[in-house]
Amino acid sequence: MSAAIRRLRWAVPYLFLLPGGLWLLVFFVVPMAVMASISLQTGSLGTGYTLSWNFGIYPEAISQFATQFLRSFEYGFIVTVLTLLIGYPMAYTIAFRGGRIKNILLLLVILPFFTSFIIRTLAWKLILADQGFVLGTLKGWGILPGDFGLIATPIAVISGLVYNFLPFMVLPLYVALEKIDHRLVEAANDLYASRLQAFLRVTLPLSMPGVFAGSLLTFIPSVGDFVNATILGSRDTTMIGNVIQSRFLDFNDFPRASALGFVLMATILAMVLVYARLVGSDELTSG
Amino acid sequence: MTERRDETRIEEAIARLVAEGRISRRSFLRRASRGGLVLGSALSLPAILAACGIKPQTSSTPPANPSGSTGGAPTPIPSPAGELDFANWPAYIDIDDKGKYPTIQKFTKQTGIKVTYTEAINDNEEFFGKIQPDLEAGNQTAYDLIVMTDWMIQKMIRFGYLEKIDKSQVPNFTANADSLYVNPWYDPNNTYSLAWQSGITGIGYNPTLTKRAITTFDDLLDPAFKGHVGLFSEMRDTMCMALLSIGVKPEDATVADVQKAGNKLLAAAKNGQFRNFYGNDYYDELANKNLWITIAWSGDITQMQLYDNPNVKFIVPQSGGMRWVDNMAIPNKAAHPVDAHMMMNFWYDPANAVPLSEYIGYFSPVKGVPDLISKDADAAEAKGDKATAAQLRVVAKTVNPTPDELQNVYNYKRLTEAEELAWNSVFEQVRTG
Repeated sequence: MSAAIRRLRWAVPYLFLLPGGLWLLVFFVVPMAVMASISLQTGSLGTGYTLSWNFGIYPEAISQFATQFLRSFEYGFIVTVLTLLIGYPMAYTIAFRGGRIKNILLLLVILPFFTSFIIRTLAWKLILADQGFVLGTLKGWGILPGDFGLIATPIAVISGLVYNFLPFMVLPLYVALEKIDHRLVEAANDLYASRLQAFLRVTLPLSMPGVFAGSLLTFIPSVGDFVNATILGSRDTTMIGNVIQSRFLDFNDFPRASALGFVLMATILAMVLVYARLVGSDELTSG
Repeated sequence: MTERRDETRIEEAIARLVAEGRISRRSFLRRASRGGLVLGSALSLPAILAACGIKPQTSSTPPANPSGSTGGAPTPIPSPAGELDFANWPAYIDIDDKGKYPTIQKFTKQTGIKVTYTEAINDNEEFFGKIQPDLEAGNQTAYDLIVMTDWMIQKMIRFGYLEKIDKSQVPNFTANADSLYVNPWYDPNNTYSLAWQSGITGIGYNPTLTKRAITTFDDLLDPAFKGHVGLFSEMRDTMCMALLSIGVKPEDATVADVQKAGNKLLAAAKNGQFRNFYGNDYYDELANKNLWITIAWSGDITQMQLYDNPNVKFIVPQSGGMRWVDNMAIPNKAAHPVDAHMMMNFWYDPANAVPLSEYIGYFSPVKGVPDLISKDADAAEAKGDKATAAQLRVVAKTVNPTPDELQNVYNYKRLTEAEELAWNSVFEQVRTG
């Protein structure tokens, strides 16, 4: 009996992978195949869609929506840099100076998740309304000109994205920083490194896995986001996510929407691979 | 659905926290509807993926018997199932302080039919996009009764997505429907749809902010209002109003006309004239002063005058407005068609149409509603409730269109699929920067 079990031990890792594998198969691989097929169909709601291997839709969709693609990547890049600049000092302070309130600080970082993403974004629209609580007051004091507005500008969309994705940057950074053995920094100081040098040559390199993970967790969802642009943006902040959403739901243009989805995914994947090369690919596994 | 309700409550709390001044419960509901839009879109992805089985339609004309399941006759089995799934727009029914729907509760008490009422519709196209894959695949949707605007009813008839209505089961419609809503342009003989409420698309504005009276569509393009002008995200209202402004009746519009109207809007859009393109949520933006002037629906502005801002105004521009009718209809293969018929019949009883109109203030398709509302106003005044009486008098005046209003309003065009694609692509250039 036990010998039989021992003989099957090779199967254990695979059995452990089975639930996750099935999940990916049903909810990732199958939908991908379906989307790939839809993107190559032609037709309309009235005539129905038939698979015609219409690869031409890809270059067509890219050139038609190049502006929105570029804008999405631009916003994604700005958002990632800003969350890193805001998130790194935050994570650093929590990890090294958090002391007894470390857990409370971490709780505060994840607290926004206790309410819905959409509600929080809608709240910003109310808070920053042209004549609302904040801007209305400042305008009343004469600090801001009367026609000043934040909502429906790129600033509002980028700020919304930064706000919503900041925890995704802070948490991996914290995990990476917290693991660092503080004696290494002390050793650097003993060897006459200044605090800045110690940071640049010890702490920062050791925290790179966190930077890498945090950037991916911020960049990927913010490039594809459509909620912030819908709620806080205007016509001139339309992102590729908005285009895909309205292609699917408003225009029932399933092929082009699917093609756009694939192009977005492929571009993000390519950028992630380049980034992994630059930051060091082994961090992908050792992080 | 419960999830969405919870969020409504949370949102009310936020709004109360940050809003300055008085915000009506109705505008909370509207605000929630935007959340609903975004959530709804995310949730409907599986439905879209299910669209991989999109089959060509057997014929482009609506089949005589779209369901195929009732054996040729439109008569469903004439006994109710005791359940009804009713999808409607936000803030489009009477609601009490506990978030319950009193008139729906009355229906349940009278008939024993349990109603699941959801505010699932924020935008015609978007809702259509969600249920279309199921309808096309011949599956049941989650709804027995839906409320769609006239042009969408016409589109759904074109696709053969609606069940026929058995007139013998809706005697109140035959007895009480106002002649304006019988045999309409989009559905001859009301074969597939009965009016729910109706209104006019025109322009709403806040005179304190525009600092002048608004009379024409071209006022939307006045550079003085740059960045504070709203248009609708639905193609039809926006494009038809623009068509009227270049002197073309929507019913006669050619694709070239549409292109011309589109170019007019596009030039302004490129200059940042429009703040954004809105669904039902334009209401909040106008109420909270982000928008100064916007395309608007008549009943909304009545509500805003009553509950949010007495100064806002609604006008039909000189070039004309659009007249629309929202309709109750039964999607194919609905699980509880008899219950749906009973519900439609129920709303054509003035005893039920009146409380609905008193609350929402759109045009009622039921005869005699304004008089009955005036009577309620008298009753309220007799009881000494002056505030309610005054409100009801405002509603009584706006619940039917005036002859003046009906003079300068137009119907949508019945679009073929090719036309719809062409119109959409013109509009998309305007809408997407």
